[in-house]
Amino acid sequence: MKRIAISLLLFFTSFIAHAQTTDCACFVKGVVKDQHTGQPIVGATVLVVGQNSGVFTDENGRYELRNLCPGAYTLECRIIGYNPFREKLDLTAGHEENFNLLEQEVHLKDVEITAHRTDAPSSQPLSTITGADLDKTRGQNLAESLKGMTGVTSLQTGSSISKPVIHGLHSNRILIMNNGVRQEGQQWGSEHAPEIDPFIATRLSVVKGAAGVRYGSDAIGGVILVEPEELPFDKALSGEVNAVGFTNGRQGVLSGTLQGSIKGFKGFGWRAQGTIKRGGNIRTPDYFLDNTGISEKNFSLAAGYRNKGLGIDVFYSRFDTKIGIFSGSHIGSVTDLLNVIENGEPFVKSGFSYNIGRPNQNVSHELMKAETHYHFQNGNRFQWTIARQLNDRNEFDLHRPRNDSIAALNHPELTFKLTTLTNDVVWDHKPIAGKLAGQLGISTLYQFNLMDGRPLIPNFNQFNIGFFWMERYVTNGWELEAGARYDYRSLTSFRIVNREKVSQDFTFANFSGLLGATRNFSEKFSARLNFGTAWRAPNVSELFSDGVHHGAAAFEKGDATLKAEKALNSIASVKYASPKFTAEIGGYYNIISDFIYLKPQAEPILTVRGAFPYFKYTQTDASFKGIDLSATWEFMKYTSVSSKLSYLRVYDRRNDNYLVLIPANRIDNQIKYELPEDAKWHKAYFSVGNLFVAQQKRVPPASDFLAPPKAYSLWNVQMGTTFNISEKQQLEVGLSVQNLFNVAYRDYLNRFRYYADDMGRNASLRLKWKFGA
Amino acid sequence: MNRKFSWMLLLAATVSFTQCKDAGDDVQIDDENELITSVTLKFTEDGTTNVQSFSYKDADGDGGNAPTQFDTIALKPNKTYTVAIELLDESKTPADNITEEVAEESDEHLFVYTPSPSALLTYTYGDKDENNFPIGLTGKAVTTAAGLGKLKVQLRHQPDTKNGTPGPGSDDVNLDFNLKVQ
Repeated sequence: MKRIAISLLLFFTSFIAHAQTTDCACFVKGVVKDQHTGQPIVGATVLVVGQNSGVFTDENGRYELRNLCPGAYTLECRIIGYNPFREKLDLTAGHEENFNLLEQEVHLKDVEITAHRTDAPSSQPLSTITGADLDKTRGQNLAESLKGMTGVTSLQTGSSISKPVIHGLHSNRILIMNNGVRQEGQQWGSEHAPEIDPFIATRLSVVKGAAGVRYGSDAIGGVILVEPEELPFDKALSGEVNAVGFTNGRQGVLSGTLQGSIKGFKGFGWRAQGTIKRGGNIRTPDYFLDNTGISEKNFSLAAGYRNKGLGIDVFYSRFDTKIGIFSGSHIGSVTDLLNVIENGEPFVKSGFSYNIGRPNQNVSHELMKAETHYHFQNGNRFQWTIARQLNDRNEFDLHRPRNDSIAALNHPELTFKLTTLTNDVVWDHKPIAGKLAGQLGISTLYQFNLMDGRPLIPNFNQFNIGFFWMERYVTNGWELEAGARYDYRSLTSFRIVNREKVSQDFTFANFSGLLGATRNFSEKFSARLNFGTAWRAPNVSELFSDGVHHGAAAFEKGDATLKAEKALNSIASVKYASPKFTAEIGGYYNIISDFIYLKPQAEPILTVRGAFPYFKYTQTDASFKGIDLSATWEFMKYTSVSSKLSYLRVYDRRNDNYLVLIPANRIDNQIKYELPEDAKWHKAYFSVGNLFVAQQKRVPPASDFLAPPKAYSLWNVQMGTTFNISEKQQLEVGLSVQNLFNVAYRDYLNRFRYYADDMGRNASLRLKWKFGA
Repeated sequence: MNRKFSWMLLLAATVSFTQCKDAGDDVQIDDENELITSVTLKFTEDGTTNVQSFSYKDADGDGGNAPTQFDTIALKPNKTYTVAIELLDESKTPADNITEEVAEESDEHLFVYTPSPSALLTYTYGDKDENNFPIGLTGKAVTTAAGLGKLKVQLRHQPDTKNGTPGPGSDDVNLDFNLKVQ
């Protein structure tokens, strides 16, 4: 019908044109295309400005204006959904003029539909924090920002260092994709936080469960996606400034973003972003923790170009941090540790100070990335990403060297320099019969690590190559998914043994697979089921550790014969979503064979610092079973309650025992009152919440110096609103208090629980000023 | 189109395989600042020149090979001894004398000698640092009745916190020598 109408109109308009200009024989013809996809646009109008003549494009996007007299014309091409485009012409004879239209943002009812290329299996639960929810976490580190999600907790070293834990798995079992590049830092260390500034992201997502097919080694526990907004192509200059102040640690964070395009350079967009953070000693309810300050400076620059189907993006970011480590945590011997535990609180007391002394970590992480993609006209898509990362970690021990001349140099006791080159090529084939879409890819990684100082992990070279193929079949009610991947990794380590260089070669190879289904029963009700396998090659610390861990007062020894871990993950969930009530319940069962962990040995090991408990890296078969539950119910107008529950049971099947360091079960409840919108108050809300964390009772006997801490319950309040300063300027204000009643508590997954309490009351004020666009 | 694709793939592969640096070229012999591999106690019986040495030795430091030597301290009852302690880092050649470094920073270090049962021996400090706190590089040990037990030897590292008591700081040395008085 539409086609007939267009043809009729075409006929009619060309008839008019013909009728008017009988003496002139000039013509203009061409094709109208979408600037980004390069696809022809059907039914666009091409008008001669100031005249009554005009034509529509046909089904191939072609148009032709005939019988024009020689002279100057202005042509305008327009269609709903695109920005109109004008071009001046001097006609003497025939002329070909092609139009490339840029898609327009249409604000009709402000319904935002965004499609993101996450590349994660769609049959797996993907939780995302964006917008106002993300704003509430501003100023905190990455792991803290993610903590509000069901099933996500954090492993902490004091209050300033934390890393995310998904379904009880962390460190090298979680993959972090920073702006499309796998983050490669020294993630094996439990006190090594991911080197990412969360202000870079406008969206943080967590894929819960094994995603080995798309991401290869390490994605056993899940994937965290840190994604910035699309660059502002051909948009006005805009930006935002975030200022956050925290009372605890008297911490201040300032972050700014400026973005825009360049006049006269079509299809170009850029963004510059920077963050500074400064905080001093953290306070527990009863005392300050000495030397727990933080100082951070980060920035990133991004630019991109879009023309027809081609897209090019370049990105550079630098993350610099200096973190003080609570001085009471540096333990010389087991006696010291037992003394602190007996004392119940740290021996080292201090007042407030911004000063960062020893022990401390200075870490910088640099990421350079270039990405190119091309949408072919037939629907195929090709993407190529190369990235180079440089992670430079310096660790300073509590003690200065005894020798004054060496001490004066102030060298770190431990330095790691890790360089990583990654290269990913992804091919999205065009949908077959409109229902089957798929992706093929190759990923390579080359990495070398240089270390200096106290022997800990050796130097190594690592090479990795992986091939994957995923297909997705979508019908009205069903989405089916399947994929396979093959990985090969070679690792060569270089160590000094008895003053001689020893090198060792390791190779790991693995197949992984994926099967998933999503069933949409109705608009409100859907269910998902996913089976996936994933693997993880042992990392160098597990292969080669050999020494006292000063924080834990334990002697840790690696094992060079460790095999790769293999995970079989099944995850099922049902979701119901209506405007007043949303609920999602998910269950997972993850079996990891050859799970690598530190096994306590019967005999302690004797060193000059005394006898230490002796732990060896060994393998077992572990099972992770859990339930994630989340629900929100608007039980009366403007008022809603929400609940999140995470329940997890982990078992060592080979030894018939529990495993250590598994997060305790928790429930998070929130009641929120949203003020009705009026001229002054926008998105104003007030909420009160409680987090209850149970005691972890499932621990292996005699696995620890101290039993897991008692259950705790923390209250928090939050409020916020948005003011429209002018049409293009907004100010968002947020106020929150965490640990409202200043409760003294310790968390099982905080490595400082032996030495000190967790953070006391912390109030924060957040301001966000948005301008432009 | 196909040709373009394969050309790009080839280029991608080239980039990934070049730029390789070898971490093996850069392995250095690592020297730990704080390493102590041997602790030797020298007991000189008062009125004689008879020196007895008892040592703990772990030449490659923590981990690696097990300690090679851990002597039992054998003393006579009811005698007074002058005790000196020597710390070495023998993982380096020549060995590093840590005792000298401790002496240089005596205001940050304290040796603690704890016999158990305590009746076996009494230790008295024979040296003081610039703040008039004991150090323990040298001292006197008086044995009493015969018996078997342990002598705990600790080096407490107490930067900026030394107050004459063992409390502050952390252990750099913590060894339980077997003690035999007979």
